[in-house]
Amino acid sequence: MQIIISNSSKEPIYEQITNQIKSSILTGELQEGSPIPSMRKLAKDLQISVITTKRAYEELEKAGFIYSIVGKGSFVAEQNLDLIKEKKLKVIEEQLSAVITNSREIGLSLDELQQIMRILYEE
Amino acid sequence: MDNVVELNNVTKQFKDFSVTDLNLQVKRGFVHGFIGANGAGKSTTIKMMMNLLKPDAGDVKVFGLDYKSHEKEIKERIGFVYDGNVFFEGMNLKDIKRIVAPAYKHWDDDVFKKYIDQFELPLNKSIKRFSKGMQMKASLAIALSHHAELIIMDEPTAGLDPIFRRELLELLQEIMIDGNRTIFFSTHITTDLDRIADYIAFINKGQLIFNKTIHEVSESYAIVKGRKELLDRDTEKAFVNIHQSSVGFEALTDDLAGAENTFGDSAVIERATLEDIMYYMKGGMQHV
Amino acid sequence: MFNLIRRDVILQKRLLMLFIPCLLFLIIMDANPAFIFLFASIYIPFNTYAYDEKTETNILLNSLPYTRNEIIASRYLGALVYMVLAVAITSLILLLFNRSFTIIDIALSIGLFLLFVAIALPLFYIFKPGYISPILMFSFIFLAIIGPRIVSFAADHLTVVTNFLINLSNPILYTGSALAALTVYGASWGFTTFVYKYKAL
Repeated sequence: MQIIISNSSKEPIYEQITNQIKSSILTGELQEGSPIPSMRKLAKDLQISVITTKRAYEELEKAGFIYSIVGKGSFVAEQNLDLIKEKKLKVIEEQLSAVITNSREIGLSLDELQQIMRILYEE
Repeated sequence: MDNVVELNNVTKQFKDFSVTDLNLQVKRGFVHGFIGANGAGKSTTIKMMMNLLKPDAGDVKVFGLDYKSHEKEIKERIGFVYDGNVFFEGMNLKDIKRIVAPAYKHWDDDVFKKYIDQFELPLNKSIKRFSKGMQMKASLAIALSHHAELIIMDEPTAGLDPIFRRELLELLQEIMIDGNRTIFFSTHITTDLDRIADYIAFINKGQLIFNKTIHEVSESYAIVKGRKELLDRDTEKAFVNIHQSSVGFEALTDDLAGAENTFGDSAVIERATLEDIMYYMKGGMQHV
Repeated sequence: MFNLIRRDVILQKRLLMLFIPCLLFLIIMDANPAFIFLFASIYIPFNTYAYDEKTETNILLNSLPYTRNEIIASRYLGALVYMVLAVAITSLILLLFNRSFTIIDIALSIGLFLLFVAIALPLFYIFKPGYISPILMFSFIFLAIIGPRIVSFAADHLTVVTNFLINLSNPILYTGSALAALTVYGASWGFTTFVYKYKAL
């Protein structure tokens, strides 16, 4: 598991951590049941305070991404990946329909829209 | 027991200076930074925690025990690092160890040796001829070699070069992997704390201004910059202290959400560093 | 507690190496045996006090798991321990050099030693550091030079007192002075403990 944090980002550090661990789980880089470093170890490796990693882990736990066993550490929770994907897909559909509405308003064709999409996607 | 150190309504009066009505809790398992300008009362507070000074009023509890009846038990579990060398000057580390080690029931020679190797400290060289950084490392090696639960450090980074300070902070984090350890350390170099502190206590002119997690600090304090027209009797209430100049104002607020509400996009609102907070507080609180 | 007393030896390893040469020097200089005993007894404790006068030392000792009472007790008990050792070593050396000395010499030096410590020790804890060592150094030399003369002067001139003392039987005289010296020593101990208890470090 790799985590890169930025001290100059506006996003709080604990959020950077939760987001990166979440995406590692969603992409399958972290398998369910596999251990993640203890919050004290992670704090040391990232050179940040324990209370920050503690907060990140608490939020991940609340959101159901990880679980902790006292004395053993934290592990990736069983994820219903299909459900999460389905939810994300729904959000994407909503966002895309807004894009299509906007495109129609200024007369953008489907081809042109796809072209813009391709450029952005490959960026 | 959650609090390793508890100061309750502690007051200490000197001729020209006093620490008044101090209430401070230090939580187990965290790094607690103690900031304040020179002469704000940091050393006095630490001395009261170590029973080097007795408060005129109020009480000091360490590990839930008081010094009156448990002095030895308490100090057995504390490791200390002070600003400046308190060890006998002309002696070498080997002799200092021979004096200090028998004082502790739980002195661990293997741990001591490990740190001596790690810090590359010479055992036979007089400590007087150590550099400032080496003296600090020597104090630290001694402080860490008796399985102390609480490490109290008074200005450990003062006078150290940046590289060494980084190394020290890294080492402190390594120590903190053991969740039973607590570090309380005073400093006026606040960037040390930005990295590793979990809690920050801020003392100014003998009074504790706050004792919060770093998240609470960054979620309540902020710097607001804007045009002077924005200031009036109502909006000024949001600020701890305001600096005005011909080109606008800069002010510190301790109510970030409130300031965002009041000013919205009409002013620039930035994260306040610990240094900002100390600097603005130096002028004294305008409201409470 | 024993550690605190033992600490003195570690603390002044190097000074201890000068101990024997100093004694030899005094012997060769044909100094008064009582003075040699006194010098030997004071050597270690006095050097430690000079160390302990420093604020840093007090901060160190008080940060270690010792109580303030123990720190003071170690000073007073340590002085006695080192006195006994010093008297033993000195006697041995004097015997080796075939120099005569009497029990009176030892008793006199022990009495003076107890008195000196009883007066000097509290000063270290009352006054600011830096002044006491030189003052004591001078008063010690002064006492050592003048002390015996005063005694002999008194013996010659204050006949009332000497007659009174002479008329006392030896056992009473010795027990009396021993008790007096120990009382002063004990009182000094109690006083220093009290002063140190409330000292700000």
